Amino acid sequence: MIKILMATLLLVTMIFAGCGGDSADGNVKLSVMLGSNVVSLDSGHATDSTSFEVIADCIDGLMQLDSDGKAIPALAESFDVSEDGKTYTFHLRDAKWSNGDPVTAEDFVFAWRRHCQKAEEYAYIMGDTVACVKNADAVIKGGDPKTLGVSAPDPKTFVVELDAPVSFFPSLMCFPTFYPINEKFYNSLDEGSYGTSPETFLSNGAFMLANYIPGTANIQLKKNDSYWNADKISLDGFQYQVVSSSDNALTSFKNGTLNLVSISGNQVEHVKKDAELSKNLKTFPSGYLNYLSFNQDPKNHHAGALSNVNLRLAISNAIDRESLVYNYVMNGAVATYTAVPVEFAPNAKTGKFFAEDQKQFSDVVSFNVSKSQEFLAKAKAELGKDNFDLNLIYSNDGDASTKIVQAIKSQVEENLPGVKINLQPMPKAEYLSNVTSDNYDLALVDWTPDYNDPMTFLTLWTTSGCEIAEHWSNAEYDKIISDCTTGDLAANYDARWNAMYDAEKILLDNAVIAPLYTDANAILISPNVEGIDFHVAGVTRVFKNVKLK
Amino acid sequence: MNKDDFEFISDRDISVDENFASQGYWKGVAVHFFRNKFAVTGLILIIVIMLFAIFAPIVSTYSYDQIVAVTDAGGKEVIAKSLSPQIGDGSAQNFFADKTFIFGTDDMGRDLWTRTWQGARVSLIIAFVAIFIDMLIGTSYGLISGFFGGIVDHILQRFIEIAGSVPTLVIISILAIFMEKGIGLVIVSLLITEWIGMSKIARAECLKLKEREYVLASRTLGAGSFHIIFKQILPNTIGPIITQVMFSIPVAIFTEAFLSFVGVGIVLPQCSIGSLIEAGFNNITILPYQILPPICVLAILMLGFNLIGDGFREALAPKLEDM
Amino acid sequence: MSKYITKRILMSVLTLFIIIFVLFVLIRIMPGDPFPVERMSAEMILQKREELGLNKPILEQFVNYMSMLLSGSFGNGTSLYNGAPIKPIMTACLINSFKIGVLSILFGTLVGLAIGIIAALNRGKFLDGLCTIVSILGVCIPSYVFMIFLQYFFSYKIPFFPYFFDPSNFLASSIMPALSLSLFAISTIARFTRNEMLEVLNSDYVKLAEAKGLYGFELIRKHVLRNALIPIVTVIAPLVVSLLTGAMVIEKIYGINGVGKLMVDAIAGQGVDYNYVLALSIVFSAMYIGVMLVLDILYGIIDPRIRLTSKEG
Repeated sequence: MIKILMATLLLVTMIFAGCGGDSADGNVKLSVMLGSNVVSLDSGHATDSTSFEVIADCIDGLMQLDSDGKAIPALAESFDVSEDGKTYTFHLRDAKWSNGDPVTAEDFVFAWRRHCQKAEEYAYIMGDTVACVKNADAVIKGGDPKTLGVSAPDPKTFVVELDAPVSFFPSLMCFPTFYPINEKFYNSLDEGSYGTSPETFLSNGAFMLANYIPGTANIQLKKNDSYWNADKISLDGFQYQVVSSSDNALTSFKNGTLNLVSISGNQVEHVKKDAELSKNLKTFPSGYLNYLSFNQDPKNHHAGALSNVNLRLAISNAIDRESLVYNYVMNGAVATYTAVPVEFAPNAKTGKFFAEDQKQFSDVVSFNVSKSQEFLAKAKAELGKDNFDLNLIYSNDGDASTKIVQAIKSQVEENLPGVKINLQPMPKAEYLSNVTSDNYDLALVDWTPDYNDPMTFLTLWTTSGCEIAEHWSNAEYDKIISDCTTGDLAANYDARWNAMYDAEKILLDNAVIAPLYTDANAILISPNVEGIDFHVAGVTRVFKNVKLK
Repeated sequence: MNKDDFEFISDRDISVDENFASQGYWKGVAVHFFRNKFAVTGLILIIVIMLFAIFAPIVSTYSYDQIVAVTDAGGKEVIAKSLSPQIGDGSAQNFFADKTFIFGTDDMGRDLWTRTWQGARVSLIIAFVAIFIDMLIGTSYGLISGFFGGIVDHILQRFIEIAGSVPTLVIISILAIFMEKGIGLVIVSLLITEWIGMSKIARAECLKLKEREYVLASRTLGAGSFHIIFKQILPNTIGPIITQVMFSIPVAIFTEAFLSFVGVGIVLPQCSIGSLIEAGFNNITILPYQILPPICVLAILMLGFNLIGDGFREALAPKLEDM
Repeated sequence: MSKYITKRILMSVLTLFIIIFVLFVLIRIMPGDPFPVERMSAEMILQKREELGLNKPILEQFVNYMSMLLSGSFGNGTSLYNGAPIKPIMTACLINSFKIGVLSILFGTLVGLAIGIIAALNRGKFLDGLCTIVSILGVCIPSYVFMIFLQYFFSYKIPFFPYFFDPSNFLASSIMPALSLSLFAISTIARFTRNEMLEVLNSDYVKLAEAKGLYGFELIRKHVLRNALIPIVTVIAPLVVSLLTGAMVIEKIYGINGVGKLMVDAIAGQGVDYNYVLALSIVFSAMYIGVMLVLDILYGIIDPRIRLTSKEG
């Protein structure tokens, strides 16, 4: 017995020997919360905002967003646009990778070709619904990557040819999928190991990795001294900590462990009541649109009924969105009655947000019990059915969505006699497989915009659009969208802008979706931290201009 | 030989011990059980919880999924969410001062008293399913495997290794293709996974006991294998088996909570003790009263089950009582 | 004995092979694609499936997978840490979970045994009752709730331990998770030890030993504990596996880069990452089978009677 004890003690000593020491280099002063793990630091693989944020800390693209959300030059010193708006020529500045190599136009050509060829989730952004890079769709489908419309006539000049003029192309260049990768360095690594450790990752941006392994909850960054704008960076480095619960985030902020945390729901409520803490609270819309998607496939086994527009309108008008955001989301989210979220996509000329007028579709999207009951009565008459049993599926990855669906169920069942909603929680993967394969009636969707233009939402509902299949197809809608992306209207800013309102009207008149609310960020930030830029799309937080007091 | 060579025993005057009247086995167990005041306390605790679980939701003013709300002077709907426990004497500083929420309300504005007992229903069902699975499947599997040994044991043990290696999440995701989500799905997945621990215990006990003299004696007298397993060995393994059952109850309850957490468990707005703990956990430092009722109910439930288990064990194997 | 062990090992390898096949098939039935699909068109999804070889007959896929496995690779992640090789990431996570697991097993076993023995020796007295209540509470409070309490009091109220897991300060930052994880083990082991001890204490051979004048620690160690150990070891073995294979919620709360969280992320993340789920399940099963193997051999050492019967089979 004693021998066994001794042996185990020895074993423990052996296991823990060599665990001490090895503390982080530099004294890190800024600690920032991440809501989820970084999935990949490879810009061709990354699909989540967390990864995009860390990539953008370390790598600069052609352009960057200033604190007002305007695109300003980053690696590109300047750029020229051809007369027809279809050719962009970027003139690169003298920048270096952290291993000393110069950043060249070839690095961009390599990265863009690779992303199209890999055809991962975000390759779509190169294609004809967004950036319209010439031949991108063909390369994604397996074509020769050399045919992609990008070229590097000399190391400092990067030329992009487009299929159609894209009015927001410069701001799109802030998106990590368009960032460069050092080809020589990439090829020197084992397959798949790019971006899995500080040694296998090159940065040309403000910061570089000090400590990182995939899946880690703690990422440490340090200042990159070879950054072209290094003089302007006052932060020596900072660290990210993955925190998954809002309650935990709140305590770690109170404790001083973290300087910037996101909180939600009850924690926001709690902070608002606390005079001291509430000084550190900031809330602002995040550009995430939460909406109910209706599966309108008439053959859908349990709810062909939803192909009836009046039933959809009835449900949409039976939901009290103000109550949802006030009572259940509670983080400053804004009730939304348009298909494009509020405080999103400002008009380049007037500066007015696209969805500024929330009342413009109030005849079809509002909270009006008597009207929704009229719609229901019509639906019942048209379908010859009195009871509707609908499955509402949602992915069970947030506290808010769980509460929202319960509130929707309660409101709809109360306001619309005869309609019954069954809640179906499921893991994200199963949820995605159901929404993409026609196996649902109602789905709670939470859509993250990729770029600051209404199109990031409006392309969702075209016949060939994203894979969340409402099974709704409208030739007129499709035409407006294709005119606006690659057709006649692409070059005419005002006409395109107005056409998008027409498209939105078709969408909401048909109640293809029931918009619910624009989500918000509620953050607690230490008073000594200044200069973090928040954006609604793409890279949502930028730490380049941070100053610690 | 003829009939006269025999005489009826009943005709003879045999002495019957009247001080220690013979009694049936189960009657003896019952007597022992009820003489044990801890066991009776346990039984009372469980019965009380069961009565609350059955009647509290029926009697309650609110239904378990009802969001309590009033309309204020401005016509705005106010929801009774996140209220700490209050009795409706008007002392609470909120719109609902006249309403009673013994355990407070949750962050959806539902009465936690009703929800706790509604949840206790679900968890009691799960607890009994767990007991059933352990007793029936786990025990017999383990005993058979341990008793026969050799090739039977090998095959059965390798099957356990295979069955035990598939993650519960994988099993339940696949089951979810064929079944409606909800308590039924949870029970089926528990059926598939929860017996393994018990079968290990039963097998180990069987290995220990099967070489004992009374087993040998029984076998010599011509008893069949199954007779030996279930009549000779089983009663003697009852101690560890009951202990194991006690542990599979909370494990089953928490497995259900974990499944709800990942999104394959009980379907909202229904609730279970596990899912209530899970929900309270999200706000544990700012609204601690939300997690206390379900944890307390679970603790009482566990205490009760354990006391009953101990009582049973001692009643079934009275030798321990003489110590 | 050595023949028995060889046979047993061969059997285990065969079992592992069957397990891999069963898992391989089951995981492919699970709903969900193994890559993120939200922004892909139907066409792109089909193309990606083809590229990953998911359209081929399942047996062919299995053969491909096995050949990859035998060459020492677990493949690349496709939705979780996509593109990156699985092995180094999984190893890093395994080491973290493993270290915390070892701590919690040690703690759980030692404290559990101690509580169990104390309770059994003081049967029916106050100490026994106290031990019973401690062990009941231990199973009633989920480990993650206990973890939050610990974190709240010992990192927040009294900042004694780091608030989040810090690999560079391993020992200090693994005490709280190990403690909370061991809670269940302590309760289980304590209860089983108490009950087994009671039975053994009551047996004839202990009475004989007592009659011969043996008492105190010697009696417990030589006669009681040794005989009570079989069922206790049986309880500890699966606990060891479950503790080593991580605890998802605790890992999430405390920011530990461990396998429990890795597994849940692989199943319930953006897509069902076939390769991760398989790799992790294979490692877990191998551990489970390994522990069961050791357990069977241990039975032989603790109780020589089992060795005899095993030879017959």
